Amino acid sequence: MRKAMVLLASLMAGMAFAAPTEGEHAAPQSHLEKEEQDVAGYILHHVSDSNEYEFEIPLSDNHISIHLPQFGIPLRAGVSCEPRPTPDGHGKAVPGWSEGCLDLSITKHTVMMWLAAVLLIGSLLLFSNRDKSKLVPRGASANLFEMLVLFVRDELAIKNIGKEEGPRYTPYLLTAFFFILFMNLLGLFPWMATATGNIGVTVALAVCTFVLTQIAGIRAAGLGGYLAHLTGGVAPWLWPIMIPVEVLGLFTKPFALTIRLFANMLAGHIVIFFLLGLIFMLGHPAVALVSVPFAMGIYLLELFVAFVQAYVFTMLSALFIGMGVAMAHHHDDHGAEGKELGHSHDHGRAHM
Amino acid sequence: MAEKEPGKETKDGELSETARQMRAAEPYIAAVWKLVGGAVVGVLGGYFLDKGLGTGPWGMLGLSLVGISAGFYGFLHEMARLGKRKQ
Repeated sequence: MRKAMVLLASLMAGMAFAAPTEGEHAAPQSHLEKEEQDVAGYILHHVSDSNEYEFEIPLSDNHISIHLPQFGIPLRAGVSCEPRPTPDGHGKAVPGWSEGCLDLSITKHTVMMWLAAVLLIGSLLLFSNRDKSKLVPRGASANLFEMLVLFVRDELAIKNIGKEEGPRYTPYLLTAFFFILFMNLLGLFPWMATATGNIGVTVALAVCTFVLTQIAGIRAAGLGGYLAHLTGGVAPWLWPIMIPVEVLGLFTKPFALTIRLFANMLAGHIVIFFLLGLIFMLGHPAVALVSVPFAMGIYLLELFVAFVQAYVFTMLSALFIGMGVAMAHHHDDHGAEGKELGHSHDHGRAHM
Repeated sequence: MAEKEPGKETKDGELSETARQMRAAEPYIAAVWKLVGGAVVGVLGGYFLDKGLGTGPWGMLGLSLVGISAGFYGFLHEMARLGKRKQ
């Protein structure tokens, strides 16, 4: 491994030395050369979402661009949502909310999510349907998938939600785990992107967990109990203050889920790009001898992080759903007080 | 039910330590959230009331006091409930 890293670093350094110096260029600067001078712009360009899918051709200045379809749905009658040129002149954009358009353009991250969904459905269908006559899975991939599925069910769902209610929420947790895992891993392949590094994607995932958490709470405590819980169990004259407080409290958990996954996935990629960008920022090819092995190390760490982030999101989702399920018990206390206060409480069903 | 502690409510011992701790900590988190949230909601509510009605700074001052009082009430209420439950 050490030899391979030294060889790779030497190769990168050699390539950098072999690259033509600035003086040799009489012709106008190419697209890539301009980006090299603007490392921050280059990093942001690579981690942000875009309507253009770029395939950079290694060891050349060329790249293939695929323009993804851009379209918007008018929210008001008589509004045109045709893409218009952006003020900076780079590409086109669909008018936003303020102009009455819902931008549903296909982006690079949308393509990655589709790819992750195809991989998720394909791989799990393949391994779940294969050779049903045998109980024991055959092959490394089937074993790996079974191990992961059992881990999510036994260690995440059952241990955080409970033996009775855990299996009910296992399908969602498995879907979230593998979907995030595939999106994280896809970002580590050349020409791919990390969809979880987009806050829109993590918000959508957290909203799914939020909805399920509320459903778990309603199932456990009953609708009356759930609504009574939102009053905080205080006297009715304090409800105008306490209900907004409790409602705000509901959103802290999905907010934490959103930011944690987004920031972790984005930060890892920025660190890798920044380490490689140091070569251009410091302006000496020898920097590659240090920055390339470091970037390689961070890349390997990212491989681990891809699994850890999928695990943490699923674990926290299970934990929050479990807390929703346990609301019935917590609610029993409100119920006791509710009698004193005179408002009705449905105690729901106790689960554990 | 009220005499049980939230962390020990499960008859099954298979819950993870994190889940047990979180469930045990949940009432305390809720109490603190009420204390802080009451003040935040009061201040924000007052700010937007002043902005909309042009009553500044009285709306913000008044609703801040109400919010802080409600936060304290909610906090003490939650603590009293926990105390009863432990007995």
